[in-house]
Amino acid sequence: MLTKELLSYILDIGEQMLVSGAEVNRVEDSISRICKAYDARRVDVFTITSSIVVSIQLKSGNTLTQTRRILKYSTDFDKLDGLNNLSYYVCKHTPEAEYIRNEIEQIGITRLYDWVVQYLVYGMIAGSFTIFYGGDLNDVAVSAAIGMILKFAITFIQRVDKNVFFVNILCSFVVGILVFLLVRIGIGHSFDKIAIGNIMLLIPGLALTNSIRDIISGDTIAGLLRLSEAILIALSISFGFGLVSVFVGGMVK
Amino acid sequence: MIHTYQIITAFMGSLGFSILFNIKGRKIGYAAFGGMLAWVIYLLGGLWLSGEMMQYFISSIIVTFYSEICARIEKTPATTFLTAAIIPLVPGRALYYTMSYAINGRFGDFAEYGSYTVSIAVAIAAGIMVASSLSRVFFALRSYEFRHHSM
Repeated sequence: MLTKELLSYILDIGEQMLVSGAEVNRVEDSISRICKAYDARRVDVFTITSSIVVSIQLKSGNTLTQTRRILKYSTDFDKLDGLNNLSYYVCKHTPEAEYIRNEIEQIGITRLYDWVVQYLVYGMIAGSFTIFYGGDLNDVAVSAAIGMILKFAITFIQRVDKNVFFVNILCSFVVGILVFLLVRIGIGHSFDKIAIGNIMLLIPGLALTNSIRDIISGDTIAGLLRLSEAILIALSISFGFGLVSVFVGGMVK
Repeated sequence: MIHTYQIITAFMGSLGFSILFNIKGRKIGYAAFGGMLAWVIYLLGGLWLSGEMMQYFISSIIVTFYSEICARIEKTPATTFLTAAIIPLVPGRALYYTMSYAINGRFGDFAEYGSYTVSIAVAIAAGIMVASSLSRVFFALRSYEFRHHSM
């Protein structure tokens, strides 16, 4: 039997899925399937990147509507996998509301990788892409070091302000200044290759991929919203680098 | 020689991103291998395809198919693999040069590189679109139960 409480948990599943990186189509599909499994007569779900609206008509004739506003995204495919399995299970077995709540809590205990691993990975990615685009050994060392500093910068700046554009502008500014200094001192050799290695860390790959997948599956509004977000992030990265040239006067060597 | 380095670093780059996206267990291997595959196909494409955009297009088609298949094997959303595997194709260098030309006021180069960057992005997007639509049809034909679980 669908109650207000149960619907709220179902929305939690949808919300968490969207936040951890699912396409809009998957979220809408999961929510409406779960509601149908609980004997709703009619389910209307509308999801865009920043909000979910669900309105269901019960067999008794009553209508329930609930909304969620989504403010913050954090990609976590492990969580998405867990939620996907949960929604599949719920559709099949229609458990009590209490069970769903416990499961969501269980999944919500994020098992992120250790912070040491995360710092090393930032270094590894930046270093890898510096080699990928033709940097030499000095460049790789500098790039990896800056990658780790970038991780620190992201963590620090996010504590001040969570706005994506603000974070990206400041981070690429930090990267630009550091690369400029290290190349000027003579440790790094080519400004562009080190900078590109670090830009790969900031580039909105997920937003781009998901926006395309949204557009194909017919959610044009959500897809376009994500696409424009990706473009704005790319722009804010270049604003950050542009800011560097204000300080140092010209950036390409 | 540079190609060998590129293939190895494409693997490492995708591996890194799969850790950042918190992919766990065996799936990391699939995702990182996908990144390597993307670049290998891109390089192989250079042997017989004319034009860089076609290379990006074909490569992203194959990677999308690869991720859809992995998604079915692992019973998890295809985005998981696709996002990490598409990373080596993302036009980071072109984007960088575009903006550096804009900042230095070299507008001829800026326009040229800008349209180059946009066309790479469009080629990748088109590849993903084609492959996703085809695999939707393919898997929908196969079975309804499968389709519900992972699309």
